[in-house]
Amino acid sequence: MVLSILLHWLVVVFLAPFFLGVISRVKAFFAGRKGPSVFQPYFDLARLFQKKCVYSRTATWVFHLGPVVVVSGVLVLSLMVPLGALKAPVVFSGDILLLAYLLALSRFFMIASAMDTGSSFEGMGASREAFFSCLSELALFMNFVTLALLTRSISLTKMIGADVPMLWNVLGPALILIVASLFIVLLAENCRIPVDDPETHLELTMIHEVMILDYSGVDFGYMLYGAAMKLFVLSSILVPIIVPVKTGLMALDMLFFLGGMLGIALVIGAVESCMARLRLNRVGNLLLIAFALAFFGFVVTLWRF
Amino acid sequence: MDKVYSLIWQVPFGEFALKLDFLGLVFLAAIAVLVVCAGIYGIGYMLPYKEKKPLGFHFFFYFILAIALVLIVLANNVILFLGAWEAMTLSVYFLILFHDEKPSTRKAGFLYLIAGHCGTFLLFLMFFLMAQTAGSMNFDVMSRASFPPALAGLIFLLALPGFGVKAGFLPVHIWLPHAHPAAPSQVSALLSGVAIKTGIYGICRILWILGVVPDWCGYVLLIIGVVSGVMGVLYALGQHELKRLLAYHSIENIGIIAIGLGLGLLGRSHNLPFIAALGFGGALLHVINHALFKGLLFLGAGTVIQRTHTGEMDQLGGLAKVMPLTSVLFLIGALSICGLPLFNGFISEFFIYFGLFQGLMGFPLNGVIACGLGILALALMGALALACFTKVFGTVFLGEPRSAHVPAKTASGTWREETSPWMLLPMIALAGLCSWIGLAPLTASRLAFSGGEYLMRLPAGSVDFAKVFVPLAFVISLAFVFIALALALILIRRFLLGPLPMPVGGTWACGYSKVGPRSQYTSASFVGPIMDAFKYVLLFRKHGGQVTGEFPGKTHVSTAVHDASEETVFSPFFTFLMGLSKKFDENRIRYTQIYLMYIFVFLIFLLVWKIR
Amino acid sequence: MTAWVDASCILIVFFSLALLASYRTAGMVHIFVLQSFVLGLVPLFLHAGSVSSHEVILALGTMVFKAGLVPFVLMWAIRHVSMRSEARPIISFGPSIICGALVIAAAFWVASSLKLPGKPVTDLLLPCSLATVLLGFFTMVTRTRAVTQVLGYLVMENGIFLFALSLVDAMPLLIEMGILLDIFVAVFIMAIVVNHINEEFERTPALVGRTKTGENF
Repeated sequence: MVLSILLHWLVVVFLAPFFLGVISRVKAFFAGRKGPSVFQPYFDLARLFQKKCVYSRTATWVFHLGPVVVVSGVLVLSLMVPLGALKAPVVFSGDILLLAYLLALSRFFMIASAMDTGSSFEGMGASREAFFSCLSELALFMNFVTLALLTRSISLTKMIGADVPMLWNVLGPALILIVASLFIVLLAENCRIPVDDPETHLELTMIHEVMILDYSGVDFGYMLYGAAMKLFVLSSILVPIIVPVKTGLMALDMLFFLGGMLGIALVIGAVESCMARLRLNRVGNLLLIAFALAFFGFVVTLWRF
Repeated sequence: MDKVYSLIWQVPFGEFALKLDFLGLVFLAAIAVLVVCAGIYGIGYMLPYKEKKPLGFHFFFYFILAIALVLIVLANNVILFLGAWEAMTLSVYFLILFHDEKPSTRKAGFLYLIAGHCGTFLLFLMFFLMAQTAGSMNFDVMSRASFPPALAGLIFLLALPGFGVKAGFLPVHIWLPHAHPAAPSQVSALLSGVAIKTGIYGICRILWILGVVPDWCGYVLLIIGVVSGVMGVLYALGQHELKRLLAYHSIENIGIIAIGLGLGLLGRSHNLPFIAALGFGGALLHVINHALFKGLLFLGAGTVIQRTHTGEMDQLGGLAKVMPLTSVLFLIGALSICGLPLFNGFISEFFIYFGLFQGLMGFPLNGVIACGLGILALALMGALALACFTKVFGTVFLGEPRSAHVPAKTASGTWREETSPWMLLPMIALAGLCSWIGLAPLTASRLAFSGGEYLMRLPAGSVDFAKVFVPLAFVISLAFVFIALALALILIRRFLLGPLPMPVGGTWACGYSKVGPRSQYTSASFVGPIMDAFKYVLLFRKHGGQVTGEFPGKTHVSTAVHDASEETVFSPFFTFLMGLSKKFDENRIRYTQIYLMYIFVFLIFLLVWKIR
Repeated sequence: MTAWVDASCILIVFFSLALLASYRTAGMVHIFVLQSFVLGLVPLFLHAGSVSSHEVILALGTMVFKAGLVPFVLMWAIRHVSMRSEARPIISFGPSIICGALVIAAAFWVASSLKLPGKPVTDLLLPCSLATVLLGFFTMVTRTRAVTQVLGYLVMENGIFLFALSLVDAMPLLIEMGILLDIFVAVFIMAIVVNHINEEFERTPALVGRTKTGENF
């Protein structure tokens, strides 16, 4: 049991920055550049962990606690998510609730640390994050409701079809809508275009980036690592729905899982390159569209079953 | 487990009958803890007023309130219940009027009294209906009587506003946001923590007596819960005064409890006792939890107000440096109320969510839609509560001080002693209880579930809760893994950074160094986007802010969220009533003799009628 | 093949919702093109495996007219009349998305009470076509610019066409081509009328747009 937990954490910790690298490589391809190496995030994180931190006079212990809570939250979350052939070490009925609320806990501390710096820049990011999280939670729970109706279970592993793959020709219509809705929620939670621009640091475009503006050194490394792991874990929730293949051979299943993850990274990179970030009052409407899609999936499920 | 105790009492139809059962035990636990904690806190809070105000009256009514609360929960007879209910209403009125030199306090107390008595009037009607059908005023005897479905529905419809006024359901909640800020903080804590819960206790007791209610009652309670919850937290988001915000949050949590009760009723009407037990048990656990964390939050707010002499969040800031212990305790209360893991709010919300999801999979179509609505409402409430409490915690405790209300360091460079131990110890006790229920919830959960089973009139232990206690065990073990992981990460960071202290400078914020404390986000600007998104359901008003002329001078802008219920329904209604009574006043006959003659005629009429 | 028809029906409703939620009229025309393209693919999936010439002609006709000619005329109207491309609705976008979702639920509820003779290829065909019709109608009701109202009408036509596809065995080819020609003529006339209206007045005589002071974000 402890071994499977450690193995799970090992996979998440080592693979998460790789996908950030893939996304920036895809964006570079679309821009006609060669782009940084796929392993660049690893070098960045190693460099950050060797630096010291500088703290603000205004900050209190909440600021110091923020990065720790973010990373612990996402690591505990990853224990409930299956990664391809690696089954989730902790599976129980209702683990989706703990998942959603652990995300909320790390969000609380991120917003509180942003307010702790006493700057209006960070307060702006905090206020926007507080608003968009309301809408993305709504969309996320609507998806959970539909998946619970489809799979008759409230445990994440069964709901995304990680052990028994979901049959697209039976459940097809609702699944298309769920995948679309979950993808928009994924973009919103991980601060990707069209919700937030992870590259710039201008107040027009920032939500997540501005909240971590005052972090430096090891704390900043923690925050970046937390964000990378969150992207990895939330993408791996989508993969079993999109790639409903289960051969039983561990190596082949891991290959399919990695293929699915790379596919999602490619799509995220393509979306980031082909779209501009939406105006902030339009981002709310995008999340409402995600909710409407999930609601439509709910209606179709009720109709069919 | 019923322990019955009765005395002969001279009041007609009345009987001093007390009964302690599991349902009452749940509420008694909450009452006991909070009365003791708020009482000890009150000693410290009232110390500055020692020479200036009559404290004896205040503590006298505090004791009367404590006794009345206990009697309400234990009462087994209608007259005793209503007597204790009135005693509670009146003692709370006198407690609210501690600061009666302020007109707003007097208005708040008066509004509370009127609202309370409107509710009590409906309660009188309802209880007499029930006693008439059952033939006795004793709750036990009434519970053995059978009520026809139409009558049961009518009684339920009378109970909802009757107890709902006290509980704070949405359309009739208007006294709450005035009474809570006006009262001293320990009274607000008691009011919000237990006095409101007596309304919920009343509804539970009526449900227990009625036994079987028509199916639509569950849907009605669920919808009231959804509306109260979502609108309550939206109103709370728009407030900038600390205690008024906490008052609206109580309305939201009452909504969550109502959702749980509605789910329980739905489970019972569809004959699924497990779901019903989850709904009722989750609601009862939330009663205890809310008493604990709302009490903690109000006591913390009281400490802040006593130190800074203002409750306006936009005048505060940076209090975590001045009052470190209070900020930790307030944070624990804030994390609990948002329902975040590691604390007790998550446990009761977990039970209610679990029940709703089971209902989603088990009920027919109408139930599925109701459960889906309940889940979405709970999710929205949780996210909005998170936004609200990050706003409160960030604006009050974090950042830079926004005005001179925040105490500065003394001449020697240190902070004054934070606050008196009378006030700190109850807060530490409540925070400890929140964490205890959050990390070791089995005792409290079993208590709540046995109360729920009693409410469904099932023998104790008849419902198998393993299906929900096994996931709960996983949740607790993951909570401990989280704590261990956080400690490990702190140690790793300490190792990486080395033993020397880290350099300290000004906030970087992208290089803007001349930004002062007044440009920080205030409570209104933090929730600006949310208020804008919900502007069709909220009466959000902005006054001023226009810039006129070529060389504009100073201008004022203020924003407020007006309570729709108060503004559109009750205020016009009261104005109309006052106009009506003024008309009657003008036409009043001036001679007393004419009224005496009316009494005389009526007396003759009664005598003639009775003698015939 | 039922799965493909299901997916197409869902996509068509999704595109109707996206049209309701989009800001730029040019964007709305592009969404309409995508929707007509998917609509044109549906006849090919109706009979599992075997595709008759009737259906191929239907698919091609739909795509050429609805996904080619009609959008061309609309884009010409937009450019020629040079109206501002931002569409201003009566209900703002957020609440209109929620209303759109509720309209879809209402369509499914109505479809559950309708008992039709015969058995269509998939049971999603009726509710999805109803939803598309209602969403198109809703778009027409809540938008102020003439071109967007035309687009709403066209989405309604798409919905009716989707429903008619379930009866493709009963209806001969000629009537379907007649319907398509009617639509084309209607759009052409609307474009001309819009052009004339624009020449007379500065704006289309629907609601004059409200100006908003800067949004504080």
